Amino acid sequence: MTEPRLTVEDAFAPPGEPWRPVSARLATARRLTMLLVLVPLVAVITVVLVLGGADPLLVALPLVVGLVSGSWLWWLIGRRVRSFGYAERDDDLLVTSGIMFRRLVVVPYGRMQLVDITAGPIDRSLGLATVQLHTAAASTNATIPGLPPEEASGLRDRLAARGEQRSAGL
Amino acid sequence: MTEPTAPDPPPGRTPDPAGAGWPVAGTMATAPRRTHPLTPAVEAVRTVGVLVAAMLVFGTGMVREAASAAGGLAGVLLVGLVALVLLGLAVGLHWLGWSRTRYFFDESGDFRLDSGVLQRNQRRVTLSRLQSVDVVRPLLGRVVGLAQVRVEVAGGGDSRVVLSYLAEAEAVALRAEIIARAAGMRPDVGEAPEVVLAAVPTNDLVMSLLLRSSTAVLLAVSVLIVVAAVATEGPGGLGLLLLTGGLPIVGVFTQFMRFFGFTVAESPDGLRLRHGLASVESQTVPPGRVQAIEIEEPLLWRRRGWVRVNLNVAGLRSGGEEAQVEQVLLPVAPLEVALAIVGRVLPGVRLSDLMLEPAPAAARRRAWLQFANLGVGHDAMVLATRRGFLTRRTAVLPHARTQSVRVTQGPWQRALGLASVAVDSTPGPVAVVALHRAAGQARAIAEAQLVRAAAARADGSGGRWMATPAIPPAPDGSTSGVADPPVLPATAPDPDPT
Repeated sequence: MTEPRLTVEDAFAPPGEPWRPVSARLATARRLTMLLVLVPLVAVITVVLVLGGADPLLVALPLVVGLVSGSWLWWLIGRRVRSFGYAERDDDLLVTSGIMFRRLVVVPYGRMQLVDITAGPIDRSLGLATVQLHTAAASTNATIPGLPPEEASGLRDRLAARGEQRSAGL
Repeated sequence: MTEPTAPDPPPGRTPDPAGAGWPVAGTMATAPRRTHPLTPAVEAVRTVGVLVAAMLVFGTGMVREAASAAGGLAGVLLVGLVALVLLGLAVGLHWLGWSRTRYFFDESGDFRLDSGVLQRNQRRVTLSRLQSVDVVRPLLGRVVGLAQVRVEVAGGGDSRVVLSYLAEAEAVALRAEIIARAAGMRPDVGEAPEVVLAAVPTNDLVMSLLLRSSTAVLLAVSVLIVVAAVATEGPGGLGLLLLTGGLPIVGVFTQFMRFFGFTVAESPDGLRLRHGLASVESQTVPPGRVQAIEIEEPLLWRRRGWVRVNLNVAGLRSGGEEAQVEQVLLPVAPLEVALAIVGRVLPGVRLSDLMLEPAPAAARRRAWLQFANLGVGHDAMVLATRRGFLTRRTAVLPHARTQSVRVTQGPWQRALGLASVAVDSTPGPVAVVALHRAAGQARAIAEAQLVRAAAARADGSGGRWMATPAIPPAPDGSTSGVADPPVLPATAPDPDPT
C-alpha cells in the first residue's frame, strides 16, 4: 500500500487551505428555532400542572428540565454550527460537518446537476441562506447552511460555471 | 408549403398534399393504425371489473338474504342488471376512447400516438431520443392474447408512452419496427436477433427464495415459537407466528410470481430480461445505463455457489409510481454465469482479478460479525467494496460512474480510529460503501477515487460502455457463452493491520 498513512484527525483535514466557516448567525437562527419549540412546550406543561393543582415540586420539574436541556442544546448548536465548513478545490467542492457523527462530502463539479439556494423566514430575517448541491445520486446530501446571501449566490454562480466546464453525462 | 427544403414539418400537422417536397420523409410515414378492438373490453374489466364482480357476488347474496323467497329472484335479477349496465357503460366509454386512438409513424419517421375524446392528445416520440421499447403482458391482456408496448425516451418525468393493447404478434412486430427505425434501418428488418445467456430453472428459483437469509431467519424463528409453545403448553408468542411465518410466505410467493421463468438474453440494444408468471415483464437494460452492480450471496446459498445480481440503473425516478425499472439482473444463478452476464453490462471488467484489501484489525471490535467479509479494492475500471454478515454483498462501480464521495465517522469508529467511505451512485438497491477503514486510509481512498473518477470521465470511458464488443453467439443458445470460469475477487492476505 503506497497510499500515505494519515492520522485519525486527518480523515477530516481541510485540503490545503483551512475550512471556510459558515456565519455565526446560523447559531442564532437555530437557537431561535429551538426556543420556539421548547418554550411553548414547557409553558403548556406548566400551565396544565398548575391548573391540575399539582404539587409545587412537580410544577418545578418541567421548568428545571426545560432549562437544563435548553442550555445544553444552546451549547450544542454552537458547536454544531462551528463544525460546518466547506472548501472549493479545482475540481470539486468539499463540505464537512458533525461532532459526534462526522462527515465529509466531496462533489466533483462535473457531477453537479443543480444548485439550490433556500432561505426560510427566520433565515431571511437574519440574512442567511442555504446552498444545496444535487447530483444524480439521491444520497449525495451536500448542504451548506448559514451563508450570507451574497456569499451563497456567489458560490452558486461559481459552482454553476465550473459545472458547465466539466459537465459529464451520467 | 413554400419551403420545400424544410426537413422537419411541425409536429401535429397532417402531411401536406405537396408532401413531395420531402422525398425521403414521405416514405417514412405510415397510415394510422388502431389498437386491438378488444381493448375497450379489457380496459373496462380493468377499471370496473372488481366492482362488478363484487356486486354480482355479494350484492346478490345480500339481496337474497334480505328479501323473501318470492321477491328474491327479482332482486337478484335487478342487481345483475345494474352490474351489466355498469359494465356496458364502461365498455362504451372505453370504446369512445379506443375509436379516437391512432398510432403511426409521421413524416419525419417519429412515432406518434393520437388519442383523447374531448381533449385531443398527440404524443410524439422522437426516435433519436429513444431509450427502450418493451412488450409487456399484463395478466388481463394475456388472457385474451393482448400485450402492451411501452416506449421510453431519455428525459425526466412523463417520458413514457404506453400503447395498449395490441395482439401479441403485432406488439412484437411494432417493437421491432420502432427499434429498426430508431437505428436507421429499414422498418421491416424484423426483431433484433437474441442470444439467451441464462435462464433460471424453476426449482432453483424456489429453493433459492426459501434459502434467502431473511426468509430462513424468519422461518427458523417460527419453528422456535412453535417449539416454545408446545414445550410450555401455552399460547405464548403464537400471535407472532402470523408475522414470522406469514412474512416469508408472502415474500417468497411474490418473488416467485415476479421472477418465474427469468431469462436474460443479449440483443444489440442491450440485455433483455423477461420474467413473471401471471403478468410477463420484458425489459431492456442498455449497458450504458448501468451505474453499479451488486453480487449478493446469502449464507445458505454459498455452499451451492449461487448469487443474485442487483443493479442501479440510470433514469429511475425514486418514489414514482412508474418506478418499475429493473433492479434485479439475475435472481439466482451460479457464480460463473452471473459473472459472465456482469461482463456484458460492464464490458472489460474482470472481477476475478480484483484483489480486495481487508479491513484493519481494529474494525473487528466495531463489526465483529461482518468483519471477515469487509473489503475494498479497485482496478483500472471499477471500484469494488464488500460487506455483510448473513448476506455478503459485493458492490462494483465503474470509476466514471462516481457521483460523489463521502467519508463518515461515528463516535465508536472515532474511538477505534476508523472511518467509512461511501461512493454515491444513482438511486437503486446497490450501495457502494467501504466500511470501517483506518481513518487516514479512508480519506486516502476517497481522494484516490475522486482522481480515478475524474480521469475516467476525462477520457470518456463513461460513454464507451455503450460500445459493447461483438458478441460471440453461443452455439446452442445456452449459457455456454462463458469463456473462462472466473471466481469472485479473493480477499488478499492481511497486510499490516496497523
